[in-house]
Amino acid sequence: MSVIDYRDARPIYEQITERYKTLILKGALLPDEQMPSVRSLAMELATNPNTVQKAYAELERQGFIYTVRGRGNFVSGGSQLLEQKTKELAESLHALQKEAADLGIDWSRVEEKAGECHD
Amino acid sequence: MIETMHLEKSFGHIRAVNDVTLTMADGEIFGLVGTNGAGKSTFLRLLAGVLRPDGGEILVDQEKIWDNPARKADLFFVPSDFYFFPNATPQEMGAYFAALYPKFDRARYEKLLREFGIDRTRRIQEFSKGMKRQTAILLGISSGTKYLLLDETFDGLDPLMRQQVRTLFAGDMAERGLTPILTSHDLRDIEDLCDRIGLLHAGGILLSEDLAGLREGMQKVQVVFASEADRAALLSKVSVKSDKKRGKLETILVEANREQTEAAFRAVGTVYFEILPLTLEEVFISKTEGMKSDGDVRTDSLD
Repeated sequence: MSVIDYRDARPIYEQITERYKTLILKGALLPDEQMPSVRSLAMELATNPNTVQKAYAELERQGFIYTVRGRGNFVSGGSQLLEQKTKELAESLHALQKEAADLGIDWSRVEEKAGECHD
Repeated sequence: MIETMHLEKSFGHIRAVNDVTLTMADGEIFGLVGTNGAGKSTFLRLLAGVLRPDGGEILVDQEKIWDNPARKADLFFVPSDFYFFPNATPQEMGAYFAALYPKFDRARYEKLLREFGIDRTRRIQEFSKGMKRQTAILLGISSGTKYLLLDETFDGLDPLMRQQVRTLFAGDMAERGLTPILTSHDLRDIEDLCDRIGLLHAGGILLSEDLAGLREGMQKVQVVFASEADRAALLSKVSVKSDKKRGKLETILVEANREQTEAAFRAVGTVYFEILPLTLEEVFISKTEGMKSDGDVRTDSLD
């Protein structure tokens, strides 16, 4: 798994945060599963442990993980995360709508085209 | 913690380090960047107690470092041209540093040599530049010191070796609170690795900040203004560091935080604008340019 993309201009802690959010939401990491220790993830990614710590703090702030003193970090579970993801998707949709408006594209046209897409 | 206060060092009439006041916190990676001849190496040599300051003070864990063997035992300095004894092998250099550093871990040193594929019985002078560099860094990390000072840290190391060295730092920081202090020409290395950076220019410190703070204070914006009047209106409102125009598209470096910048551009007529991520390189160039020709670069009307 490659977490850090060095061509990506975003700070590394943000990349780590995003990567783990995706893993948790997709169910690759299950509720109450233990996160890798700061030390082992920092070594695996060859990065500063403080950067990993910062990413974990951010994940905890956003409710994706919780800390048990002396034992480490664990994945949170439940509806809260889906609520969070719903909010994120809504923000992405809003950004797309804004982009369409900036370019003078009628949103109903976008929806029409999206309907024609097949997975 | 290492603190310097109004540190000064001159060689003849050249002032290599000029009034540098800095703090390097425990358990953090501090990165020094600067133009060639900015005084980075001199600064590290002062920290290591190799050079005696002409003025000012250096405190390592609240004690002066000059002529202080107890504090020096907790600090290992890897200069850019690390000295190996003539004909010495890695094994012999290990024995030498084990005699100097009470916490030197010989078993770990030998294990690391094996992992890095370095023959401990070969003469170091036959090594390539990169292998010499690796040997020096392994000696440093095996010494078990709290502080590890590295000049031109990754010089001569291939990408795989860089990665391995960074992994070593990560492990020792998490396990025993190693505090690396490094210089590098590769700003991307510094940017990715360091908690805090100091920017040296012509011997003086230009700024010392955490990287997030550094980025917050400056924004890069790509914009197409709706009209000349809109352009003038914006330029009169914000502090502009640099402004490059290619066709209709302008790239402007603004000294402000993200919200202020966004508000300023929203308030005028634009066809399009986007705030782009700023690299350390861009911050570095804009800050050092600003020093060279004070005032000329700035085109703002504020302050």
